[in-house]
Amino acid sequence: MKKQVFHDTQADLSFKPSWMFSRLLIYSVLIVWAFACLFPIYWTITTTFKAAPDVMKGNIVPWWDFTPKWLGLKSLGLSPNTIFVENTVREEFLKRFWNSTIIAVASSAIAVALGSCTAYGLSRFSYRFGFMRNSDISFFFLSQLILPPVVLALPFLVLYKELALLDTRIGLIALYTLTVLPIVIWIMRDQFGSIPVELEEAALVDGLSLWRAFVTIILPIALPGIIAAFIISLVLTWNEYFFAALLTSSHAKTLPVMVASQTGSQGIAWWSMAALSFAAILPLVVIGIILERFIIKGMAAGAVK
Amino acid sequence: MAEVTLDGVRKLFGSVTAVEDFTLSISNGEFVVFVGPSGCGKSTTLRMLAGLEDVSSGSISIDGRAVNNIHPKDRDIAMVFQNYALYPHLNVFDNMSFGLRAKRLPRPEIESRTHDAAEILGLGDLLKRRPGELSGGQKQRVAMGRAIVRQPKVFLFDEPLSNLDAKLRHKMRAEMKLLHQRVQTTTVYVTHDQVEAMTLADRIVIMNEGRIEQVGTPDEVYKQPASQFVASFIGSPAMNFATGVINNSSRKTTLETHSGVAIGLASSHVAQDRRVFLGFRPEHMQLADVAKPPKGHISISGDITVVEPMGHETVLTCDGGFGEIVGKYEGEKHFRPGESVYFHIRTDRLHYFDLETGIRI
Repeated sequence: MKKQVFHDTQADLSFKPSWMFSRLLIYSVLIVWAFACLFPIYWTITTTFKAAPDVMKGNIVPWWDFTPKWLGLKSLGLSPNTIFVENTVREEFLKRFWNSTIIAVASSAIAVALGSCTAYGLSRFSYRFGFMRNSDISFFFLSQLILPPVVLALPFLVLYKELALLDTRIGLIALYTLTVLPIVIWIMRDQFGSIPVELEEAALVDGLSLWRAFVTIILPIALPGIIAAFIISLVLTWNEYFFAALLTSSHAKTLPVMVASQTGSQGIAWWSMAALSFAAILPLVVIGIILERFIIKGMAAGAVK
Repeated sequence: MAEVTLDGVRKLFGSVTAVEDFTLSISNGEFVVFVGPSGCGKSTTLRMLAGLEDVSSGSISIDGRAVNNIHPKDRDIAMVFQNYALYPHLNVFDNMSFGLRAKRLPRPEIESRTHDAAEILGLGDLLKRRPGELSGGQKQRVAMGRAIVRQPKVFLFDEPLSNLDAKLRHKMRAEMKLLHQRVQTTTVYVTHDQVEAMTLADRIVIMNEGRIEQVGTPDEVYKQPASQFVASFIGSPAMNFATGVINNSSRKTTLETHSGVAIGLASSHVAQDRRVFLGFRPEHMQLADVAKPPKGHISISGDITVVEPMGHETVLTCDGGFGEIVGKYEGEKHFRPGESVYFHIRTDRLHYFDLETGIRI
């Protein structure tokens, strides 16, 4: 007779595979989070097509709650019946959009170029500046973020007035480069730090100069970090309001300043503000989607061991 | 192919001396292995040879040309790193041909040289793969391929096999030896593994604390270790040591060990009252049934503490009274811990080292 030898204990009987549950939990958390992130964007887009009462009543679903109208785009001169007509608001909007684009892209590009070189130096060579070593220098850069921008408002106003940089794109580009540089340096220093030094050494022995090794070996491997730093810089500079409002008036004014100035004396023009806001976030959404695929982690995985 | 000369080379990191007075001349086509415990300066010396570290003083020359101030790229050397250092964004072909493309060689030559090397290394089918898609052994071979295609004056290897598992390491070791026999390029190889050093080297350089302890063929360093350090480093299981004072005064010569046990030595060339290490290798200890040694032998007794059967041989760890001794017994016999055993050792297989300096007597 066959008699069972091994038996389940109470713990075995009460054991249940947990992956279903954890999977379910993870997905529901992610769905809630995605909703929290995407809802404001959805609300902004729909508000573009709402009249004032619809906004106040909190109507959300088009064709059910409210009837969409071209209000927002019409106020910008971008609705179907106004797009081919001369429109000063549209020209204003395009000018601000263009200003924002040039300033954000230029300052981000300069910050990434300068910051990468700085970070590479900090991760590979030993510096001494007074009592400061590499880690102190890195922290010094990062510590610039601690200073509240308001403190710098007056000095910059005076400085820019003297240098005739008030209301110029160059002025904003220079200032924005300065403000995002610490973040770029910090990101890139981590990125370069994760690349083994042996890769450059192998390149040196293989017949490359240090500069060529940096360009042909290190930069391609650090590309994910570079793109991440570029996107973060772009978001920060694109959204910057305080210094733009302070240092520009008519010529170099950027999109955030224009969005903020929509609250006129006759109440808030929700539809037009929503249309502007949407126009302001759209480029970032597009760039985010395009560049996201380049931020592949673990590019350097497999280089060693 | 080239001769390599290092003359009085010294390396300081701040106030710490990493390498001191390193003088060695490596002849054309020779396979030299630097071996020693970690931190002994062997890798630093190799890196100075490659030009990746500056030389604090002394001179290095490759093929008769002083290279102290010459950039690594102009030294015509190839180096294989412990962690392979493959370029992760390039495929195997581009990794291997990287040095040739840096030198701007004509395309057909790059193709043929790279394919030849891939053929030798058995990488022919993997040329399109990225390093991330290769096994450890394949990565290691790509790293070697990158060195081979260059046809440099000198190969430098920095612990190339230490990331591989034991079986693969054994296989690669034999293949590297075969490769060197075929290409006959001057090679400097750094390892901490004395077995690798013994099997690969034409000459071994044993280093300790930044200094050369001994330079010699594998046979020389095994049979005539210049110091107690070399004696303890080379050989597996390691050499046994007894410390004590030589006593020639009575009729027989003995070693009075510090624990009070006297080891009878048939005769000795060492002077009276000299404090010494007495060294003898496990593989030279013959298991005996009786305490009394035959002529030209000494006898050592001990109680077995650990028995390690290996199939064809058994390693016995014993308490010899003066310290732990490890012996080998070749053949099939069962031992039990606690058993008393006698070992006989030929007197010409005994090594004496000065207790203070460690130098061979």
